[in-house]
Amino acid sequence: MGESDVWQGTLALMILKTLQSMGPLHGYGIARRIEQISQDQLIIQYGTIYPALLKLEQEGYISSDWGESENKRRARFYRLTRAGRRQLERECQRWEKAAAVLARFVSTGEEAV
Amino acid sequence: MRKLRAFLLRFWGLSGDKRQDEEFAEELQSHLQMHIDDNIRGGMTPDQARREAILKLGGIEQTVQRQRDQRAFSFFESLCRDLRFAYRNIHKSPGFTTVAVLTLALGIGANTAIFTLLNAILLRPLPVQNPEELLLFGDGYAAGSTESVPDGNWKLFSYSFFHDFRQKDTSFSGIAAVDSTQFETKASISGGAYQTTHVNLVSGSYFSVFGVPAFLGRTIGESDDSTEGAGTVAVASYSWFQRHFNGDPSAMGKVIRIQSHDYTLVGVAKPGFSGVTVGQSTDLWIPLSMEKAFSRAGWNGLGNKLFQSLYLIGRLRPGVTAAQASAETNLLFKQIVRSYLGPQPSQKHLDDLARASIQLTPGGRGVSLLRYALWLPLQILMAIVALVLLIACANIANMLLARGVVRRREIAVRMALGASRRRIVFQLLTESTLLAFLGAAAGVALAWKASGLLLNMATPGPDPVPLNLAPDLRVLGFTIAVTVLTSLLFGILPAFRSAGFEFTPALKDGRGSSSASTRGALARSLIIGQVALSVLLLVVASLLLRSLIHLYDVDTGFDKHNVLIFSLDSSTANLPHGPDEIRSVRLQEQIEGRVQAIPGVRSDGFAFFAFNDGAWSDRVLFQGVPRSPANGESVSFNISGNGFFSAMGIPLIEGRTFSSEDRGTAKVAVINQTMARRFFPNSSPIGYRFAIGETPDHPGEIEVIGVVKDSKYYTLDEGPVMEAYFPCTQNPGFFGNFVVRYAPGANQQEISSRIRHAIAEINSNILVNSVTTLEEQVDRSIARQALIAQLSAFFGILAVFLACMGIYGLLSYSVARRTNELGIRLALGAQSHALLWLILRECIFLLVLGFAIGIPVALSSTHILKSLLYQLSPLDPTAIAIAIAAVACITVGAAWLPARRASKINPMQALRTE
Repeated sequence: MGESDVWQGTLALMILKTLQSMGPLHGYGIARRIEQISQDQLIIQYGTIYPALLKLEQEGYISSDWGESENKRRARFYRLTRAGRRQLERECQRWEKAAAVLARFVSTGEEAV
Repeated sequence: MRKLRAFLLRFWGLSGDKRQDEEFAEELQSHLQMHIDDNIRGGMTPDQARREAILKLGGIEQTVQRQRDQRAFSFFESLCRDLRFAYRNIHKSPGFTTVAVLTLALGIGANTAIFTLLNAILLRPLPVQNPEELLLFGDGYAAGSTESVPDGNWKLFSYSFFHDFRQKDTSFSGIAAVDSTQFETKASISGGAYQTTHVNLVSGSYFSVFGVPAFLGRTIGESDDSTEGAGTVAVASYSWFQRHFNGDPSAMGKVIRIQSHDYTLVGVAKPGFSGVTVGQSTDLWIPLSMEKAFSRAGWNGLGNKLFQSLYLIGRLRPGVTAAQASAETNLLFKQIVRSYLGPQPSQKHLDDLARASIQLTPGGRGVSLLRYALWLPLQILMAIVALVLLIACANIANMLLARGVVRRREIAVRMALGASRRRIVFQLLTESTLLAFLGAAAGVALAWKASGLLLNMATPGPDPVPLNLAPDLRVLGFTIAVTVLTSLLFGILPAFRSAGFEFTPALKDGRGSSSASTRGALARSLIIGQVALSVLLLVVASLLLRSLIHLYDVDTGFDKHNVLIFSLDSSTANLPHGPDEIRSVRLQEQIEGRVQAIPGVRSDGFAFFAFNDGAWSDRVLFQGVPRSPANGESVSFNISGNGFFSAMGIPLIEGRTFSSEDRGTAKVAVINQTMARRFFPNSSPIGYRFAIGETPDHPGEIEVIGVVKDSKYYTLDEGPVMEAYFPCTQNPGFFGNFVVRYAPGANQQEISSRIRHAIAEINSNILVNSVTTLEEQVDRSIARQALIAQLSAFFGILAVFLACMGIYGLLSYSVARRTNELGIRLALGAQSHALLWLILRECIFLLVLGFAIGIPVALSSTHILKSLLYQLSPLDPTAIAIAIAAVACITVGAAWLPARRASKINPMQALRTE
C-alpha cells in the first residue's frame, strides 16, 4: 500500500490514538510507532507526519513543546489536549460503526442473492 | 469551530514564516538524528544509517513545502516568496530588464493612450441618470439647420415638431431638445469685460430628462421655455462658475449681457456635466425661447415649422421597448410633418416624406461630430498598437527563452531538490508578470501625456478640445487586462520550456543538442510571425502616407500662400439688424479700404466662409434651363466682399467679379466653373438669371456676371462642388471672416498687428477672436489624416525595428553556437564570404516565410482603410512594394552584423571553443 486519500483522514486518527496510548511523543517516535502497529503493512514516508501534526495542532486537538528526547537530543514533543481526547473517542466510534456496516455488506453479499 | 480556528491560524501564518521555518528545520534535523542513532544501534554503518534515514523521511523539499502549505495559505505565501525571488532576479540582469521594461512601457503605453481616446470619444456614457434609457432621434451626425422636407434618415428637427410630438407621443417619459449649434459668443457679467462664452440653447425639459440636478439655485424649467423671448435666464456649468466666481454663491441673480440681451443667472448645474455633445464644453445654458436673440441672418427657429436645427433626445418610459418607441415615433413623424406641408402639398414633397424616417439610436453617449471623424482612425490605430505589442511580446519571449538556457542548471537543481514543475512554472510566470507590471506602470504615465498630445494633433486649432482624458475605471481595467495578457503571452512559452527539461543532461554539462534545436525552431517561428506583422503594419503605413502625399498635392484652386484670415466678432458692437443692416456692410467696406492702404497688403475682403468653415446650400433654378440630374444637386453659397477673389487668389475665367456697380437692387452672382458647366455645357452663362430654391418665388432675380476657377471649399478630398458667390452689399450682415493677402516676403507679424490697429480704430467693439493663415487652415483640415499616417508610420518602423532586434539576437546566438563548425569550415578552405552567405541565408529564409504569411494577410485586410485613402486603391502596388522593400532591407541590414562576425572568425580560436 502506498499513500492515498483514505489514509489522510486515518493518519490523524492514528496519531491521536498513538498519543493516547504512548503519552507525549516526538514526531519521529509517532511515525515509528504507527509503522510498528500496522505491522509494516503501512509503508509511509515519515515526512507526511509533520503536516498532519501541524493540522491537528491548528485544530487544537494536540499541543506541542520543545523537550529532551531519550538520547539527550532536543526534540518537539506532542501531547493530546482534552478536546483531542474527545475527538479521538468520537472518531473511534464512527470508524467502528462504519466498519460494522461495511462488514455486513462484504460477508452477506452472496447470501442475499 | 475547529475548522475556523485552523483557518484563522493559517491566515495568521502568512506573516513571520522565517522563525517557523527555522524551528521546523530544527525539528526535522532532530528527527533525522534520532533515526540515524536508531539505525546505528541497529547495526548499520553511519553512512548507511544516514542514507536510510533520509530516504525514509521522503523528499525534504516536499516535506518542507507541505509543511509551509499547511502553515499558511500556500498560494499567497508562495506568491509573496515568488515576488521577492523575481525582484532579486530582475536586479541580477539589469540590461535585459531595462530593454524589456522599455519595450513593454512603449507597447502597453501606446495601447493605453489610444484606448483612453477611444474611451473618451466612443465608449464613455454621459454623466446623467440612467444613460441606457436615452434614445437619440437620428444618428447625430449633422449640425446647423435645414429647411428641406425630410426625405431620408432624418437627424435635425424643428421646434414646432418638438412641441407637437411631445403632445402626442406615449413612448417617452420626457424629450429634451438642444440646438445643434453651440454658439461661441461674447458675454459680459454685471457690466464687466466681454469674454468668449459657449452657449447651448435648450428646451425647458432638458435638465429633467437627463436627470441633472442643480448644484446651486435651479435649472431651466418648462416655464422658461413657454413664451418666445421671455426666458431671459441662464444656467451655468460648474466649471464656468468656478472660473468666474470661484464658487461664490452670491453669483446667483447676477446679470449676464449677451448680444444686447440681459440674462439672469439662476443656477449652476451639478459638477461634471458640461452638455451632451462630446468634444464640446458648455458654459451657459439658455432656453430655446430666446433663440431669436442668437439668430444669424436667415435663422427663424421658433416660427418656421420646417426650420430644423435641433437634436431631440428622449427617455424611454418604463416598460416600453426601443422597437415600440421607434414604430410610434415614425408614425407620428410622418403625420406631423404632413400637417406642416399645408392643404395642398406638392407631389415631390409627398414623395420625400414617404422616404423619410427617424432612426432611434442609443443616446446615452451623447452627440458627437468628433466621433464621426475619429471612430475609424481610432479603431485602426488600436489594431496597429495591439499588433506592435504582439511583436514586442514575441521579442521578450525570445529573450526569455535565451535566458532560460542560461538558467537551466539553476532550475534543474531546484527540481532535483523536489520542487514540482508547477511551482517552477508559477515562479517563472511571476517573474514575467512583475516585468509586465513594471512596464505597464511606466506605460500608463506615458499614456496620460501622450493621449492629450494625440488629441491636439488630431484636432488642431486655437482652442483645445475639452475632453476629459484622465484615466477612469474602464481605462485602468483595460490596462490591467492588457498587462496580464501580455505577461502570459511572452511568459508562458519560456516558463513551460524551462520547466519541461530533463535535468540529467543539463546537470552534466551545458548543452544538449535536441533542446537547442527545438528552442531554435520556437525562436524562428516567433521571428517569422514578427516579420509577417511588420509587413502588414508597413503596408498600412505606406498606403496612408501615399494618400497623405496625394492630399498635400491637391490643387486647392486658390493660392494658399501669404494669406491671413482674421476671425472677427461683432456681437458687442451693437450692429443693427433689419433695414439698417446695410451699416454693417459700410463698416466692412471701411475696414477693407483702411487695411488695403497698409503697405504690404495686396488685397483683402470679407466673406461668410473662407475654407473648411461650413456651408450654406440649396438648389437653384435657371431661367430657360431645364432640370437635369447634373444640375439638380445643391449649390453651395458664399457671400463675399469685392476684394475676396483676389485675396484668396481665385482667378477669374470669364466676365467680372463684384465692383461698386453692384450696390443696387439688381442682384448679381459670380459662379464657379463646375456650376457653369453643369447648367451651360456648351455656352457662356454670363447674363443668364437664376433664383434659389426648388421652386423659387421670384424666378430669375439673380444675374450671373462672372465665372471663377473651381476651388476647394470645405475639405481637400471633396468631389466637384457647384458654388455661387453673392456680394456683401446685396446680402447685408457682418461676416466673421476677413481675408487679407500680403506681398510675399513681408513681415507677417507686423502686418497682422497693423491690421488689428486699423480695425480697432474704425470700431473698437469689433473683436479679433483669432488670426490664422490660409495655409494653416488647409493643413488643419487634413490634420486627422496626417496624424494617422504619421502614427502608423512610427509604429510600422517600430515594429520592424523590434523584429530586427529579434533577428539580430537569433543570428548572433546561432553564430556563437556554430563557432566550432564555422571554424572547421574555414580551416577546410571555405571562403569567408561563403560563411557570410551561409548565415544570411538563415535570415533570408525567415524573411521569405514571413512575407509568405504577411503579404496575403495585408492584401486581404487593407480594404478596411478604403474610406481613409484619397485617390488611392487599398491594393496600390507602389505602396506595397515600398513596404516590402523597406522590411527586406532593414532586416537584412540587421542580419548583416552577425553574418560579418561569422565571416571574420579566426579558425584557430574557433576550433578551440566548444
